[in-house]
Amino acid sequence: MRSPSGETATREPVAWGAAAIGLLVLLWWLATAIPGLVPPRVLPSPVDVVLRFGALIAEPFSGATLLGHAVVSLQRWGIGVLAAIALGLPLGIALAWLPPLRAVVTPAFELLRYIPPFAWVPIAVLWFGATTTTQAAIVFIAAFPACIINTQLAVAQVDPILMRAARTLGAGSARTLAKVVLPVAAPTIFTGLRIAFSNGWMALVGAELVVGKQGLGFLISQGQLNDSASTILVGMTTIGVLGTAIDVVLQRAQILALPWRPVSARHVE
Amino acid sequence: MRLLSRPYLGSTLGQHIAASLQIVIGGWLLAGLVGLPLGIAMGWCKRVRWIAFPVFQILRPVPPLAWIPLAILWLGIGDSARIFVVFIAAVVPWVMNSMQAVDSIDGLLVRAALTLGASDRQILTRVVCRTALPTLVAGARIALGNAWTTLVAAELLAATAGLGYIALNASRTLEIGILLVTMAIIGALGALFSIGMHLVTRWVAPWTESGVAT
Repeated sequence: MRSPSGETATREPVAWGAAAIGLLVLLWWLATAIPGLVPPRVLPSPVDVVLRFGALIAEPFSGATLLGHAVVSLQRWGIGVLAAIALGLPLGIALAWLPPLRAVVTPAFELLRYIPPFAWVPIAVLWFGATTTTQAAIVFIAAFPACIINTQLAVAQVDPILMRAARTLGAGSARTLAKVVLPVAAPTIFTGLRIAFSNGWMALVGAELVVGKQGLGFLISQGQLNDSASTILVGMTTIGVLGTAIDVVLQRAQILALPWRPVSARHVE
Repeated sequence: MRLLSRPYLGSTLGQHIAASLQIVIGGWLLAGLVGLPLGIAMGWCKRVRWIAFPVFQILRPVPPLAWIPLAILWLGIGDSARIFVVFIAAVVPWVMNSMQAVDSIDGLLVRAALTLGASDRQILTRVVCRTALPTLVAGARIALGNAWTTLVAAELLAATAGLGYIALNASRTLEIGILLVTMAIIGALGALFSIGMHLVTRWVAPWTESGVAT
């Protein structure tokens, strides 16, 4: 079947990509299928990984099933991210609106920002012990800067004419904020949230590798201790898939929550 | 401080810093050596991109840190495991930025060069690499930042020296002074990297504004 040229243009890249990935999987399988080439300890065959996936779902490993570990991880992530949003949004707005506050906070903030989130792991362990609080705190530290910086930027970028117009029409500060500033700033804030969510997720994995008794990061570190590469691979895949899923959900949420966005974008340009 | 003169956990502070720096620079350079040509090829030749891009898209959602256990299993807790993890963290920005840099070049420039009789190689070195330079350097900067962040995490897990290693040890032995000093050094070095790369950007590509997209 020959398709018109317009269609091949979009189809060809996909075919090449699929072929490349297929080839990699095939090579992987061949490498493990030929005995003696790559020991299964180092690289289990794809079939083993799929079987391991099934096994991890069905029976507990290191205290919980795969689903259990995932739920624990998502919980910690949720707490940290929600805290980052709850603090980051108001603070970001305050920073954008109150220049004196900005002058005080920004230098300290810039300084702290250079310390990677994982560098906080030891001190969080010292403060909170090996608890959920520690993990959530690391997620919070990783997610907070993206929340606050983007909120501040978004609010600062709102056209002052819009605010003055709202004032002229008799809106109070709270009303201007809710009806004018936030809707206009929302797309940029959402971008910040997306960065915050994915930063938080990455940091959580790091934190769970170091401390904790459950969670996906813990699962892969147990896989390492038990010399089970297939467990590690299952865990890594789950982490990657969940990370992607979080991003996709947020993208959808943005479309649902801000249906006016494309309109306003066109209006501005 | 006390740490400077007296060895802590086998080496002095300077040696721990040196150990961390060695690995971060090693992994970053290695990632550049692989990522830069690969990214340029992906931007330059559609076919290469079709093949390599989906592979990257599949690998990208997995955080570099999630590779640590696998790296330890494969390579032990030696330097190579940490270099591997740093490499993974740094290679993605290298590749993506080089690809974007080459891809976003104005076709008019290339055609102008062609008209003036430039060969393919000349276009690549004289036109493409020059115009793409700011984005390339930005990629290098992000890669270095990622590398540093990841190294600290990797050192928490698999190391016998380095700043992350002393930080975790200090936390276990409740030596909060050492812990805070270590965190400050980690932050300061991270800031130093960032500022250094900004200076490099200004030096190699002075025609760009300092605010390159991050």
